[in-house]
Amino acid sequence: MVASLPTEPGRHSPRAAAAKRPRIGVVKFASCDGCQLTILDLEDELLAIAEKVEIVEFAEATSRRSAGPFDVLFVEGSISTPDQVEEIARLRAVTRLLVTIGACATAGGIQAIRNWLDHEQVRHAVYPEPAFVDSLAMAHPVADFVHVDAELRGCPISPGQLREFLIALVTGRRPQLPDEAVCLECKRRGVVCVAVARGIPCLGPVTRTGCGALCPAYGRGCYGCFGPRESANTGALAAWLADGRTTAEVGRLFAGFTAWSAPFRTVIDAHGGPPGMTPEPSETTDA
Amino acid sequence: VVAAAAAFLPRTELGRLFEALVADGRRVIGPTVVDGAVVYDELASPAELPYGWRAETAPGIYRLEPSGRERAFDYTIGVTAWKRYTHPSIVPLSRAHREGNQVVVESVADAPPRLAFFGARACELAALAIQVRAMRAGPLGDADHAARRDAALVVAVECATSTNTCFCTSMGTGPEVDGGADIVLSELEAGFVVRTASDAGAAIVDGLELRPAAPSEKDRVAAQVAAVRTAIGDPVPTEGLPTRLRAALDHPRWAEVADRCLACANCTLVCPTCFCTSVTVASDLDNIDGTTERTWDSCFSAGFGRVAGDANFRPKVRDRYRQWLTHKFSTWWDQFGSTGCVGCGRCIAWCPVGIDVREELLAIAPAGAPSPPIPWPVSPAQGRAPAPLAVVGPATHVTATVRSVTFETLDTATLHLATSDAALLGARPGQFVMAELPGFAIPPISISRIEPDGLALTIRSVGPATAALTGLTPGAEVSLRGPLGRGWPVDAAFGHDVVIVAGGIGLAPLRPLIDAVLADRPRFGAVRLYLGARTPRDRLFVAEMSALASRADVEVAEIVDRAGPEWFGRVGVVTQLFDQATWDGSRAIAFMCGPERMMQATASTLERLGVRPAATWLTLERNMACGVGTCGHCQLGPFFVCRDGPVFSLAELGTAFGREGL
Repeated sequence: MVASLPTEPGRHSPRAAAAKRPRIGVVKFASCDGCQLTILDLEDELLAIAEKVEIVEFAEATSRRSAGPFDVLFVEGSISTPDQVEEIARLRAVTRLLVTIGACATAGGIQAIRNWLDHEQVRHAVYPEPAFVDSLAMAHPVADFVHVDAELRGCPISPGQLREFLIALVTGRRPQLPDEAVCLECKRRGVVCVAVARGIPCLGPVTRTGCGALCPAYGRGCYGCFGPRESANTGALAAWLADGRTTAEVGRLFAGFTAWSAPFRTVIDAHGGPPGMTPEPSETTDA
Repeated sequence: VVAAAAAFLPRTELGRLFEALVADGRRVIGPTVVDGAVVYDELASPAELPYGWRAETAPGIYRLEPSGRERAFDYTIGVTAWKRYTHPSIVPLSRAHREGNQVVVESVADAPPRLAFFGARACELAALAIQVRAMRAGPLGDADHAARRDAALVVAVECATSTNTCFCTSMGTGPEVDGGADIVLSELEAGFVVRTASDAGAAIVDGLELRPAAPSEKDRVAAQVAAVRTAIGDPVPTEGLPTRLRAALDHPRWAEVADRCLACANCTLVCPTCFCTSVTVASDLDNIDGTTERTWDSCFSAGFGRVAGDANFRPKVRDRYRQWLTHKFSTWWDQFGSTGCVGCGRCIAWCPVGIDVREELLAIAPAGAPSPPIPWPVSPAQGRAPAPLAVVGPATHVTATVRSVTFETLDTATLHLATSDAALLGARPGQFVMAELPGFAIPPISISRIEPDGLALTIRSVGPATAALTGLTPGAEVSLRGPLGRGWPVDAAFGHDVVIVAGGIGLAPLRPLIDAVLADRPRFGAVRLYLGARTPRDRLFVAEMSALASRADVEVAEIVDRAGPEWFGRVGVVTQLFDQATWDGSRAIAFMCGPERMMQATASTLERLGVRPAATWLTLERNMACGVGTCGHCQLGPFFVCRDGPVFSLAELGTAFGREGL
């Protein structure tokens, strides 16, 4: 459940929220900056929001820098180096409400595919002089190291959910960030189910909503960029998808932007690891 | 009333029927092919109908295939039900505005579009009627749904084909069209046999000046629908099904199906009768302007059974699947006097992992299985006389002004509200209101005192909405809907001893009952209060309760869960207060409110003391989002807790009380 700010009884009132402009920071670790760009994409609203909060750290947008403290810190990116482990611990200590944003920070991101591979091999494959690179053996979600108060999922995050979160923050109410399946958005929009009507593999039933059923609305299956929803029954979906697909093909469907999240990881592990790790598909699993 | 005479509409003249509907001021909504499936969308002409297509369906699979003949209606049913138009997926509910202390909340009601539903099948007509009953049941109906349905004219089509997910025959809803439409078409190669079934339908058809249908045409129509009935057979024996399901609440199959179920909610959203919704709140950055809207939701969503403090009454997928299936095939009868399933088969075809409701029913409640009478809650309709109608509509928002605020504990405050609204002032003990501030979630709040010129609401701050309410200051306004629900049966206690048991904030809804008993003190026997709280600092209405304790004609016993040296009273759980009780429970009526576990323990204790289940009353907490029985969140077996309760007797609840996951 998402915490809200401030947390004392009686302090949620509009007056209390208005009395103090929360100090906001935006920082990044191993990531593409796409989620930060989503913040900038709020454009007109961002100006209004900036009047309600004090943005003290946001490298993508301003040259102002701050070491903290932060009332709210938005954290993008996975933790992939020893330095980042130290930095996130330092930031946590000076932050009241730590909010991870995007698939990298919340689930490890696409780079967590390397978590299944040999660290040294990966280093040598990517860098000509790996000796200069100090990286962790795995790309971690932020929550592996510090307590996280709230998450905004997605690759990138949804502008709608970000807006909802910010408004809730400044008005002192609980943000409405549903943990239901993408399917509900699909059906509310009246999108014809691509899985049932066209046999396209779709992770919508096990993936958290927030995107507005973007991919299915364009005739594609959901590839799970918001990560697992509450009660994600990935095993049952994988079993259904096994009909007519190889083991490797089924595993690959889950090995995307949130592959390292536990419900997806379990399926990938049960299907021989992510692509590149799997033996050449030959046998099928339907039986 | 189906007119005896049937007419014949040549296929080439179908456009004239369209034109007549348009001339009647209607937009025509009908079947058309989009993204490989038949959906119901606005049609410009009959050319957009799905000519030449039929649907092949199986659990988890839907494919359009060429039908091999140039008919428009061989596809059976569309992906989405007509509820998209009678009960849209998103409906604006209210608009709120705050200006300083002033709060104004207005309901938003758009005039419904004038539509013609073109091509509704027998199962769909049944579904439209069932949803009307659901949305208009209880003391308060849903005005939006009623307006939309009433504004639509229905042109039905009798099925000439079926798919292997159809089971209308079992549910008694088809394939023959029998009422529920204005115009009924039956498709033949050369055109349509047309029957009219309402004055509005007759007016449209009469204007077309059609020739009468030939006997041979009528015979062919009868033969093709008879062939559909034969093809479908009777896949789900429904004789005794509601009671068979009630007897199977602990069947191991619920857990097995939960292993396969994704809880994705698709079955409920494609279902033509499912009506459940959630209320979402939005506001601007200053919380000056807020809006609420309701969106389709599902008993498969985690949030559906969730209440303040993040407790969840249906945490497991097993619980959610059981709620859905038992609601459709069993408790729907208790609530609305009909099946909740029409046998359209959408939930089977559109389940992404192909769970077949027919198969599950046969496994969980097989035909012929003994259905012994079990102590299940009696139907709300049978169990008692209907509660007097609340006199406000669900869209009626009343503004009340905070007169004063009393801080009861560190996290609980009482708002004393001034209002002149007759309905609110006429509230009965045990009723509640929905309390709304712009931009905040809208919690149900028990009325803790009914005053001549206002109400008191005692609110524990457990989240932002309740914190905002307890943070209000004198002069501030709050918008209320109510009074809602059924109150305590004060009259039933005349001539009896009265036992009142409260845990924590549970004392709030009991206080108006205490007031009512004391106001009429001679009409009651002994009056005994048993009060529990977490700590001494969490006790409510301390001065008042002390005053009561000093009266000769009221007994008050108190206990706290934990205490420091400042507390000289008893420490423990509420039931320990009854350890020394010697009174005769058979003469008593008990009223209790508190955490459900506390009430379960107290119920056992009271039963041991001789208090009859029919004389033990309690008030339940559930996720009450609409307050009028149309959002579906607060269901408990056959009950809508908001509408049928929140006050129930143990006898009414039967085994539903305290049953995990129900």
